[in-house]
Amino acid sequence: MRLNRVLAVAKKNLRSLKHDRRTVGFLVMMPLLMITIFGYTFGGNVKNVDVYIVNLDQAPQGESISVAIIENLQSRDTLHIGRIYTTSDGIAPATEKVKDADIWAVIVFPENFTSDVARASGGNGSQPAMIGVTIDGTNPNIVSSISNELLTAVRAVLGQRALLSPIIVIPDLVYGKDARFIDFFAPGVMGLAAMMVTFMLSIISFVHERGASTLDRLLSTPVTEGEIVAGYALAFGLVGLIQSCVIITAAILLFNVMIVGNVLLALLVIFILGVGNQGLGFLLSAIAKNEFQAIQFLPLILFPSILLSGVFWPIEAVPTLLRPVSYFIPLTYAVEGMRSVMIRGWSVDGIWLQLLILTAFAIAMLVLSTYGLKRRR
Amino acid sequence: MERAQGGEGDAILTNKLRKEYGSLVAVNDLDLKIGKGTLYGMIGPNGSGKTTTIKMLVGLLRATSGNAFVLGERTPIKDNIARIGYMPQDMAIYTELSVHENLELFAELYSMDKEVFAKREENLLRVIDLVDRKNSLVSQLSGGMRHRVSLACALIHNPDVMFLDEPTVGVDPELRVGFWKYFSELKSSGKTVILTTHYMDEAVRCDLVGMMRLGELIGEGTPKQLMELTRTQDLESAFMSLSKKVPA
Repeated sequence: MRLNRVLAVAKKNLRSLKHDRRTVGFLVMMPLLMITIFGYTFGGNVKNVDVYIVNLDQAPQGESISVAIIENLQSRDTLHIGRIYTTSDGIAPATEKVKDADIWAVIVFPENFTSDVARASGGNGSQPAMIGVTIDGTNPNIVSSISNELLTAVRAVLGQRALLSPIIVIPDLVYGKDARFIDFFAPGVMGLAAMMVTFMLSIISFVHERGASTLDRLLSTPVTEGEIVAGYALAFGLVGLIQSCVIITAAILLFNVMIVGNVLLALLVIFILGVGNQGLGFLLSAIAKNEFQAIQFLPLILFPSILLSGVFWPIEAVPTLLRPVSYFIPLTYAVEGMRSVMIRGWSVDGIWLQLLILTAFAIAMLVLSTYGLKRRR
Repeated sequence: MERAQGGEGDAILTNKLRKEYGSLVAVNDLDLKIGKGTLYGMIGPNGSGKTTTIKMLVGLLRATSGNAFVLGERTPIKDNIARIGYMPQDMAIYTELSVHENLELFAELYSMDKEVFAKREENLLRVIDLVDRKNSLVSQLSGGMRHRVSLACALIHNPDVMFLDEPTVGVDPELRVGFWKYFSELKSSGKTVILTTHYMDEAVRCDLVGMMRLGELIGEGTPKQLMELTRTQDLESAFMSLSKKVPA
């Protein structure tokens, strides 16, 4: 293999892109748009969820734990408490509002709430104190936000009043202290963008190369099949890398994304993934007769990767039946590797398995692509 | 490296070269012997097997049977690949690159020295009359201009044997005359040029003409020999006359 010929093929591909301003714009704007939209959509916490409160608690104002919890809830912006009903209003009007989908939930503090809490925390209660929540369960995120917010408020108020809670769970975070959801999915979006673009560029370029007979022309020169494949891999791997830099810069500037480990190691993971995916595009281009057929492969590759590789939710959330498929998707290992670097701060020692699997995938794709080209003669 | 039995002086030698696509015989047991320094014209209608023959000689297609030798090396050639130049029928250049970038790509694939490339590029751009369009994107050029760029890409590394599939298609008559003058100069400098053409009147400029029909070589000789053999005044009539003798 001659390096000068590999570089010539890579230069040709990069020059083709350079002259195509629209494609360059797409390559830069697409990942930027992806991280911005995903970041603003999923990155923020749930805010201003409309709820009503029915406070039936009979305790005097100064001693009422329910009032303290309500004040605590009002001090933050997760819930928007539209109205607070009292004993004279009853529960029914508020519940109707949930049924009409005007509000998400009604939080009900029962008549003896404060005294029940006091009894239960003193160990004298036969039953725990209860807060009733009538909730519209159509959106699990909202349900979980309301429950979490309520629990946070209860814990805070009980803590202030030195009342004992029967069990306290104290999470001691080894990694990802202060990590937000965006820190979890930013590495996934980087991998996803690099995967999409390298695959798409490779399959379309190569289908065009075959159709326009330029491939025949290349193969009539001293350049070997392996050198063509390597030239393509180098060019489009670099494109994937540049995209990742755009994403990572945007993620840091816009969302202050967490990067504990070596960012260069995360970019290396992306580069290997990009090389492998361009190889896959190269390979599948042999089946596609034109660009239109080539683009049909995109959803076939994209959807399993988005849904099963742990980009937006953990692999553990994938149904057991489909989980083996997750382990056949290279993006799974890229996302896991990048997360380990960016959030856990791991080095090569910690992600050697992911690097090994991704490298094996890339080599396999390059070898098969070369073999496919040789068979063509 | 396998050597032909046909002698070192042959640029091209084929023995019963055959290409089948299923039941279709695209090239039927072709025997060719083209000496070095020959300007050889392959003429015949579409589907006569000219392009398939050239692709087998260049090494882009494997023969079903028979064998072929280019510069004494059996196809698909490896050792001599840098000594051949190939211009495909359908242009096959990168329209998203400039004229210079296309030429530079092929020069780099042939590992040409930069200074040698610069001189060669200047010379070829003059031949194809595109000196002032050197930095234009090929997509901005006319069809004829693109064809000329394609020819220059095949010749950039100064090959010893050139396979040119329809090099004068879309080229205006004045420039076509210039092209033939250039082909003659190449031949005079010892280069071998094998070209296909639809323009039978052009083929009289060749040293040797091979007439192909339905995958078979129905006649071969100098233009004068072919016209005398068929008692005709031009190569088109000679081709028609020879076609009648060979049943379809």
